[in-house]
Amino acid sequence: MPVSLDYVARETASNLWRNRLMTIAAVLTVAVSLSLVGTALLLRQGVAHATTQWQHGVSVELFLKPSVSTTQEASVRQQLHQLPYVQSCLYRSQTYDYNEAKRLLTPDESQALTVASTPSSLRCVLNNPTQAQAIAKQFHGYPGVKDVASPNQAIRNMESVTRILQLVFLILAVILLLSASVLILNTIRLAIFARRREVSVMKLVGATNWFIRVPFMFEGVVQGLLGAVVAAVVVVVLHLVLDALGNGQISNLWYQMRLPTHEVVITSLVVLLIGVLIGSIGSAFGIRRFLDA
Amino acid sequence: MISFENVTKGYKGGTVAIRDMSLDIDKGEFVFLVGSSGSGKTTFIRLLLREEIPTSGRILVAGRDIANLSQWRIPYLRRNIGCVFQDFRLLPNKNVFENVAFALEVIGRPKHVVAAQVPQVLDLVGLSKKRESLPGELSGGEQQRVAVARAFVNRPLILLADEPTGNLDPATSQGIMRLLERINKTGTTVVIATHDSGIVDQMRRRVIELDHGTLVRDQARGVYGYGT
Repeated sequence: MPVSLDYVARETASNLWRNRLMTIAAVLTVAVSLSLVGTALLLRQGVAHATTQWQHGVSVELFLKPSVSTTQEASVRQQLHQLPYVQSCLYRSQTYDYNEAKRLLTPDESQALTVASTPSSLRCVLNNPTQAQAIAKQFHGYPGVKDVASPNQAIRNMESVTRILQLVFLILAVILLLSASVLILNTIRLAIFARRREVSVMKLVGATNWFIRVPFMFEGVVQGLLGAVVAAVVVVVLHLVLDALGNGQISNLWYQMRLPTHEVVITSLVVLLIGVLIGSIGSAFGIRRFLDA
Repeated sequence: MISFENVTKGYKGGTVAIRDMSLDIDKGEFVFLVGSSGSGKTTFIRLLLREEIPTSGRILVAGRDIANLSQWRIPYLRRNIGCVFQDFRLLPNKNVFENVAFALEVIGRPKHVVAAQVPQVLDLVGLSKKRESLPGELSGGEQQRVAVARAFVNRPLILLADEPTGNLDPATSQGIMRLLERINKTGTTVVIATHDSGIVDQMRRRVIELDHGTLVRDQARGVYGYGT
């Protein structure tokens, strides 16, 4: 199949220009729908990131000073044990916490950390998670206790809100992606219709179907890709905005939601891939009806 | 070169365009296909181009049964058959040279082949001086010459012409016929479907007459109507 790149590029460019209004419509629809997809993906990963540490029903964490003595530790454990609303507590060693911190923090942040300087912790499941505040109060400043952390109620709220948000985003995105492929299908059909004389002569003199098809398919792919590029930019900007909102503070919810760069890159790549896919599917269907003969 | 073996072509709705037709056309022949409108001439040509598939029977082109041709081979069949139509079918936004070159470009011929063959064939049809003109600036006869050049530039084995003189005056028609004769002398098989009795009578070539899809006459040095 000797289809020269030069020929495909020329034909594609002229087709896109000929149908520029339809092209813009298709590109924008792809961009909007893929932005939604990208945002939904980011949101899901961000919330997952922020809540990793609060899984398994753990609702309060007591961090013990690395220098904690055995008696201090025993005293803390006994106190906890006596509280009626504490269901169970799990002890995590310094090594365990160190490994977890390395997983949750960016390399920059965990660099200064060593096993010896990492606090060990007691993670407690409560009968009633709302009592977490009471525990925090009680153990604040207690000998051997470095810090008490309880999940921000906001995280819990976020979880349910984002779950709904994600669903809405994904449904909207699917509808928009469908309309985007139909729009692309339509532009390709218009492009073929505009060149039906050429196409009929090409068939007559024995051009292969692939030769006729490739420029039109390429046109659809370019439209999908252009839209996806816009959406990828939206994803990256969103990531940067989240970062700025967090302002570098560990306790800030936005900051806890921010993602490592490689996850943002992967999300952008997924968005680009979907764009190319939508473009090829749309154009493939657009061409089918004309070139079957 | 072309062989029909008991070919029947029916359409949905019961119309039979070609009925049990058998004939042979040898390499290098010059054949007129005559008959009134609806006699099956156009279907005959569409069958040869594999735009239609026969309902029954076999059609051999250069020894190959084209009914069993797989989809991807059809373009290669068409590269062996040049085609000229009553309405020329030129691309209005391309000039004469580009129209002819297009036929070579879209089958992937390299640029140097295009640059060599197009001027040659334009010389053959006598349009070397009009290579920059657009089809709209040419007379009907000149446009048909461009169409012939486009059909012949790839040196096909067969040249089909469907009413090539249908839109032309008698003098111009004669010019086109002389051109097709010259092409025939290069060894190309030429098949012309026509109503143009003047030309058929004058040239006295093989005449195949169809009537309602049936072969009614096959005469070596025939005329348009019965008699003589």
